[in-house]
Amino acid sequence: MSRGAARAWPLALSAAAAWLALAAGSASPDLLAQSKEPPAPERRFGPFESSCFTCHAEMDDSEQSPAVLAKQDVHFAAGLSCHDCHGGNPRGGFDGDPEAAHDTLFPQGAFRGKPDRLAAPLFCARCHADATYMKRFDPQARVDQHSEYVTSVHGRRNAAGDANVATCVDCHGMHGILAVKDPRAPVYALNVAATCARCHSNQELMTPYGRRGDPHADYKKSVHAHALYEMGDLSAPTCNDCHGSHGAAPPGVDTIANVCGSCHGREATLFRDAEMSRNMNLEACIQCAVCHSNHAIERPTIEMLGTHPGSTCVGCHLEGDAGWKAAGSMRESLERIGVRLGEARDLLDRAERAGVEVGPDRFALQEGDDNLIEARVLVHGFDLGRFNETADKGLAAAEAGIAAGQRAFAELRFRRVGLGLSLVVIAAVIIALAITIRRIEA
Amino acid sequence: MSLERTGADGGGGLMGWLEERLGLSNLVALGRKKQVPLHRHTIWYYFGGMSAFLFGIQVATGILLLLYYRPSAEEAFESVQFLMTRVPFGWLVRSIHSWSANLLIFVLFVHMFSVFFMRAYRKPRELTWVTGVFLLFLMLGFGFSGYLLPWNMLAFFATQVGTEVAGALPFIGDFALRFLRGGTQVTGGTLTRFYGMHVAVLPAITTAVLGLHLYLVQKHGMSVPQGVAPRGHHAFFPNFLLRDLIGWCVALACLATLAAVFPWELGEKADPFAPAPAGIRPEWYFVWMFQVLKILPGHVAGIEGELIGILAITLAAIFWLMVPFIDRDPAGAGESRSRRATLFTVMGWLAIAVLCALTAKEYLS
Repeated sequence: MSRGAARAWPLALSAAAAWLALAAGSASPDLLAQSKEPPAPERRFGPFESSCFTCHAEMDDSEQSPAVLAKQDVHFAAGLSCHDCHGGNPRGGFDGDPEAAHDTLFPQGAFRGKPDRLAAPLFCARCHADATYMKRFDPQARVDQHSEYVTSVHGRRNAAGDANVATCVDCHGMHGILAVKDPRAPVYALNVAATCARCHSNQELMTPYGRRGDPHADYKKSVHAHALYEMGDLSAPTCNDCHGSHGAAPPGVDTIANVCGSCHGREATLFRDAEMSRNMNLEACIQCAVCHSNHAIERPTIEMLGTHPGSTCVGCHLEGDAGWKAAGSMRESLERIGVRLGEARDLLDRAERAGVEVGPDRFALQEGDDNLIEARVLVHGFDLGRFNETADKGLAAAEAGIAAGQRAFAELRFRRVGLGLSLVVIAAVIIALAITIRRIEA
Repeated sequence: MSLERTGADGGGGLMGWLEERLGLSNLVALGRKKQVPLHRHTIWYYFGGMSAFLFGIQVATGILLLLYYRPSAEEAFESVQFLMTRVPFGWLVRSIHSWSANLLIFVLFVHMFSVFFMRAYRKPRELTWVTGVFLLFLMLGFGFSGYLLPWNMLAFFATQVGTEVAGALPFIGDFALRFLRGGTQVTGGTLTRFYGMHVAVLPAITTAVLGLHLYLVQKHGMSVPQGVAPRGHHAFFPNFLLRDLIGWCVALACLATLAAVFPWELGEKADPFAPAPAGIRPEWYFVWMFQVLKILPGHVAGIEGELIGILAITLAAIFWLMVPFIDRDPAGAGESRSRRATLFTVMGWLAIAVLCALTAKEYLS
């Protein structure tokens, strides 16, 4: 067999296989099954060497933009090209015949053109749901995006034929798709909220779905947004951390504690424990959002607790009931610990500035801070006894800190008095020496 | 036999008993016999005695600190913290030790320059000068090694910089660095090593050099500056010694005030993985050297600037040590000085100006 014939056999076989796959796909009503056609595994030219670029680069605006945007696209960086998504003959256009490039019967991948908006998720899932194919690029790559998507509100409405809901391209872009870790990407942590807001803060778009308000504006006021944007903490939650990414859905009332608990685990555990151990049914009436709100979650302060008009507790509890009393008691304890810890710290700071070593006392005072934090967390357990146990420890640590500060100041006074007396004694010795010298030399 | 009845020619009582055994009257007689010249520069003589007094305080407070100090990276900081917070007057002992160390270096500089300007190093006091300069170097060694012992952040990084300078020495740099650090990095091994130097090696050498220095001072007596005619003499004991005591009392009062009003800070425990704190600089008496190395360009005529700086400082130290052998003006007390002597005086003032300017530059920048 000649060398040319040997090379031609695998090509012929792969062409035949591709044709069979295409034929099988077109016969099936299942679009996902139709999409099980990974691009040809071997490539004999670079991603930018196809005729798609030659022609589209010379076109106007929208027809030209895919060729321009492709230069930054993550797919092109991985070695893929236009025909890997859109099909067609990548060399066909070189002869000046666009029809040859847009060959819907091209054996190695029929030209699919621009997918229908509703079909976009399946269009992407062709590769992104194929574990074998994706492992060629990233052994850790997720392939559950589409299966997640179909469970989301977006996915369910999409399946029902609603073309207004978000599909892959609305969040990731169409051409010029950037990796999630690329700071320019619309799905990069810092950009997610703005990306979601393009639809969810659009009243015209949201009104038909019964959605009101501006969640993005609320979110920007939240402690989470502060951590993300002001403190640069990329682990701080943005939309997808609570709602999910591809399986985005609003958390139901019964799952809010689970959602918040994925980060605030201790609070969520206490909350669940309270339900279990005390046989309370908190789900219907109390969930995190009742006190903390949902998007506009502010930094929790002691002001939220108590029986004063501004507290969240009085929103549900009536004056004189057990919860009302517990809220008042907890507020009073937390306030007292905070004030006493502040006094202790102030005393120790002043003593340190005056030169007394208070390192160990300052270290001991940290226990009080820890107790205060723990007590604030224990508020979520609605158990006054357990709360008081920790609060008492915190108060004791604060009192010990104040006592240490007072001791430091007593020490300081002792030093000053001691110095004064020493200087008097030294001065007396100097005078005695001077008198002695004068007497001797007289 | 009672003590009262044991006196021979020293009278009765305890003093008589001691006199019979120690011959204290011989020492007193020696003190009375020893004469100190009186002139307009006599005041500078007191700085030698004050140095000895401060050194004595260093020894006494150092021994007290030894009772609690633990020389390991794990315990050094905690032991000093314990001493300062839990041991009665521990803070005072540490503060006095630290302040006294700084005052001692300052007084030594004053003493050395006063000797230099009075040209008291002239024949036959060359070795007195050499041992004195050696003593200053030894005290700087005490300061460098003692600075690390509390194992706090500032000390850790200052030692890292200081030992890096030693590592830049030609030929022996690598050895010097490893010798000082006990490895390639500043670790607990360095601390143990510095502790050994601070409490054993340097004190042993200092005892010998100080003994020789004091012997030479006794043997040759006080030098009278050139061009100065003494207006008389007074006895070392009691006249000079009593005045010395007044100076010591003043120094003690200064120390007590500094220690009580500005207790020496402990800072934070050293963390080798933490970034170096801002504004890190060595103790004030090393700052001028630090500045020399800082202001030199990276390379001068193809040679590393740091190397040139180290060589310049080393040559200056050698020159300073050899001053008595270079300035060999035969003019004695009361005689006018030569042009070379004037040149040395100008050099001395220039040295002071350079040291002060470089130090001020660092603190003002």
